Amino acid sequence: MRRVVVIGGGIAGIQASLDLADRGFEVHLVEKSPSIGGHMAQLDKTFPTNDCSMCILSPKMIMCADHANIKLHAYSEIEEVSGNFPEFKVTIKEKARYVDVKKCTGCGDCIAKCPVKVPWEFEEGLVKRKAVYLPFPQAVPRKVTIDGDHCRTIQGKKCGVCKKICQAGAIDYEQEDSIVELDAACIIVAIGFELMDASVMSQYGLGVCKDVVTSLQLERILSASGPTGGHLTRHSDNMEPKKLAFIQCVGSRDAHMHGYCSSVCCMYATKESILAREHAPGLEATIFYMDMRATGKGFQEFVSRAKQNYGVRYIRSRPANVQLPAGGNGVLVNYETSGLSGESVTEEFDMLVLCPALIPSKDAGKLAEILGIDLDEDGFIDMPDMARPVDTSRKGVLACGFVSGPIDIPDSVSQASAAAARAAELVDGGDR
Amino acid sequence: MMVRIGVFICHCGHNIASAVDVEEVVEYAKTLPWVAHAGHNLYSCSEEGLGSIKRSITENKLDRVVVAACTPRTHEPLFRRACEQAGINKYLFEFVNIREHCSWIHAKEPKEATEKAKKLVAMGVAKAALLKPQTESEAGVIPTAVVIGGGISGLVAAASLVEQGIETHLVEQTDRLGGLLCDITTIGPEGRHARTLVKDVVQKLEASPKTHIHRKARVSDVKGFIGSFEVTIEGCDGPTKVPAGAIIVATGTREFAPTGEYGFGEHPQVITQLELERKLAMGEKPKRVVFITCVGSRQPGREYCSRVCCNVTLKNALALSKASPDSRIRVIHRDIMSSGSAAEKLYKETSDSGVRFLRYGLERPPEVVSDGDRVNVIVYDETLDEVVSLDADLVVLAVPMLPPDDSEVTGKLLKVPRDKFGFFLEAHVKLRPVEFATDGVFICGSARWPVNARECIWQGMAAAAKASIPIKEGKVVIQAITAEVDPEKCAACGNCVLACPYEAIEIVDQDGNRAAKVNEAQCKGCGTCVAACHNDAVSQKGFTSGQLGAMIDALVKASLEGSR
Amino acid sequence: MTEFKPTILAFCCNWCSYAGADLAGVNRLQMPPNVHVIRVMCSASVKPEYVFKAISQGVDGVLVLGCHIGDCHYLTGNHRTAKRIPVTKKILHDVGIDDRRVRLDWVSAAEGEKFQQVIIEFVAEIKTLGPNPQREVNM
Repeated sequence: MRRVVVIGGGIAGIQASLDLADRGFEVHLVEKSPSIGGHMAQLDKTFPTNDCSMCILSPKMIMCADHANIKLHAYSEIEEVSGNFPEFKVTIKEKARYVDVKKCTGCGDCIAKCPVKVPWEFEEGLVKRKAVYLPFPQAVPRKVTIDGDHCRTIQGKKCGVCKKICQAGAIDYEQEDSIVELDAACIIVAIGFELMDASVMSQYGLGVCKDVVTSLQLERILSASGPTGGHLTRHSDNMEPKKLAFIQCVGSRDAHMHGYCSSVCCMYATKESILAREHAPGLEATIFYMDMRATGKGFQEFVSRAKQNYGVRYIRSRPANVQLPAGGNGVLVNYETSGLSGESVTEEFDMLVLCPALIPSKDAGKLAEILGIDLDEDGFIDMPDMARPVDTSRKGVLACGFVSGPIDIPDSVSQASAAAARAAELVDGGDR
Repeated sequence: MMVRIGVFICHCGHNIASAVDVEEVVEYAKTLPWVAHAGHNLYSCSEEGLGSIKRSITENKLDRVVVAACTPRTHEPLFRRACEQAGINKYLFEFVNIREHCSWIHAKEPKEATEKAKKLVAMGVAKAALLKPQTESEAGVIPTAVVIGGGISGLVAAASLVEQGIETHLVEQTDRLGGLLCDITTIGPEGRHARTLVKDVVQKLEASPKTHIHRKARVSDVKGFIGSFEVTIEGCDGPTKVPAGAIIVATGTREFAPTGEYGFGEHPQVITQLELERKLAMGEKPKRVVFITCVGSRQPGREYCSRVCCNVTLKNALALSKASPDSRIRVIHRDIMSSGSAAEKLYKETSDSGVRFLRYGLERPPEVVSDGDRVNVIVYDETLDEVVSLDADLVVLAVPMLPPDDSEVTGKLLKVPRDKFGFFLEAHVKLRPVEFATDGVFICGSARWPVNARECIWQGMAAAAKASIPIKEGKVVIQAITAEVDPEKCAACGNCVLACPYEAIEIVDQDGNRAAKVNEAQCKGCGTCVAACHNDAVSQKGFTSGQLGAMIDALVKASLEGSR
Repeated sequence: MTEFKPTILAFCCNWCSYAGADLAGVNRLQMPPNVHVIRVMCSASVKPEYVFKAISQGVDGVLVLGCHIGDCHYLTGNHRTAKRIPVTKKILHDVGIDDRRVRLDWVSAAEGEKFQQVIIEFVAEIKTLGPNPQREVNM
């Protein structure tokens, strides 16, 4: 059987699907949210070339949707897996969107009229979306979804506005989850990461000081298609910040939280500093860091460019805490300069960006149980044999991307191609 | 002929719109000849953008499309397919680059950038009006691959291809397989025995009748294109010509040879990491060891961090620290680059084991002074803010990895580019890490950038995945940019025959008229013959003299308008 | 008198110099906005007629950019370019046109900075040469 199920529609899952599909395999790509794209879709630019993230990702998303060998199951989850390699039986739950995707044209008329507002996941909660929504403008598939938890009609209240407005007749409040069962030779897990909730480290003021944001929120603020239209402003008074600070390793490289290094924060903070400066000329960016880990191609030069051309200040220090200044705007950062002679400094910034630990997707535990695979002590999927870097503890179940350990985009992409190769080896070869 | 061109200008979020006034360019495009519709999109390449282009093709009965956005080198296939889906031949599409070639490089001159974008659009429209529909042809793919380099990435790439049932030639210039892994003891941070790992892969390879290993051999010539390369392998028994559908470059890396840094070459106690590995392999257990990292890297001239040296240092420091309880192991570093999960754990374990870490800055590097059988390392510790002197039996320098000496030759043979340090340049640094821009040629391992063994292995597999695609597909599509001859104009002089690098043109007798004829399967679409023809009888599809001439006319016209 | 803003045409081969120009863009290397690129597959496909046409119609300068010798995607195409463009310049010179208005150079796919340098230098040179006299004829 030449069928593979890929779980997770971020860049790793997309790449693994495309390679396998090009290689002649039938691929079922399962994504839990309404659109594929993953975190890369949220990024404004990518380091170290500052390539526009959506611009390079979007063609691949569309190729996935168009490919004759790929069946996309968006807004779907893995319910059950039984059997063994090479004959897994996979049960996929396609969640009710309350929208007939064959009829929906993605016109957005329903979105305009929907009266319910909820925090927008894609925009990292900075703004609200409607209960009927398109996760982001470049979504694939470009079909709206009704969020059943918040839709008034679904919740039994009086509304029905979207159904009235939809000329395509696509709204279907009676729609139910549907179950798809299929056989597959291999399964590839690529469910990625999420941000640790940085508000648990209360010393850094997220959720208390208005002008403290996460790095992914800043990414959205910097994006032209984001909530501010790409204008760098802080939340408290909508002013353009003149002094911006980043704190690295918030919850990572920290024995009390997550011991590992999240791998990408040094570089994305550098990138965001450069971008912030480009958006707000004259802005001064400061990065508080522990070790500057610029180990990839062109990374060290990128950091040098940030220092020389954009005046980014790198301070080796882990700030103790932050305080809200008397005026209520901005933030005071308390830190010590390095060395035994180091002194305590309190410095005011207009805006503070936290770079939280990147942790395995919260579904990793449940999925590992369904798949019968092991997780490592940090909760990433255990890849026990370095000679087989995409093999999990169970034969025929492969993993790639951030869920197997912290890596950046190019490494996720090459790992995804490796997972495709491994699936092809297992199915076509004698290595069983 | 009625021509109806649709012009679509992309904002690309801010990327174009921050410098180019997109609406103004749209209004301008509407004034151009043949333009039936002009519009704009926030992101033309999104499903929404493509959908609106497709709808517009139908609604406005367009028969040509011009998109002004980013570079055709990444996005042309996407828009061409959208055209096809809307019923327009994909060769009736023209791409105008107003991002890389305009908004990004004139970021601070919005007025000038907008004017330039208008001219570029005018040129694109002029060419589009003269485009002709084309049909593509297909060519077969030789079901064999060649892997250049017998280090761990090359070995794994070959093993994966063979496992997938693909005949594979592995070319290694020395007589041993395994590359740098042959010279080291264990692989950090996992602690895997390096030579056993190599042996396992080699055994698997050798067991397959589909494997052809060429030891003490090198590639001396490469001809052809994706699907039908001819690779000349110069081995002990003379040259062999191997036909192949795809080629993987896995030529690896080598250690930088210090040029006197920290008394290297002067004091025998100062050695490199690889030299330490050899000592460890022989069972030596030096007790007082100082490691110095970033020797010859992360400084002007060789600015890059070579990624693997910190972890090798940590692995060896930990091993020595554990080997004897009274050992004194010190690591002098600038930053510890233990990215990720396993490496950070290794760092923690190493520092918990009693290895002492001191941080130095580039402006005050350590000094090594001789002290009889030993040496002393004098270093200003940034963290303690004091100068300390460390006595050592051995000083181990973590030096960067460099591209192999013959990477320039390899690059030229395969016509693939290298970066300023000599590492190979992949097709796209983010999303095409194991491909070259040249179809059918792939890259993996440290020849692209220094990487650890685990990364080498998955990159080798990734390159194998990419190489297996055309081979298993069995055919490649030939872009319709080949040359064609107008027999009426051809004088059969043979200039084009001589000019063609692929022997794709011959003079034939067609109904008594002797004229040149292009063999489409052999033509690679370079257009050399076009310029060689004195009679304007040869033209290249998609790049005819009429089309390029129209672009020049459009530029002149738009510029004159602009200067009035 | 208004400032002279030269109009310049650049033929770039798809594999090296066009990619080098893309890289310059990706790296945001700033340069004067006078140069307009026409993409061709190989610099060897650039006919002298294109250069003559551009110059005779008033384009102030023409750049032909290809892969470095030895790096041509099409084996030896740029060897022909290397011979053809000097002849083209000689013909222009013979008919009384300053042949500095045409320049041949090599820019690899990795040389974004070289592309920027070539553009900056060529635009500066054309500015010192002043407007192409053929402009008047065309006005």
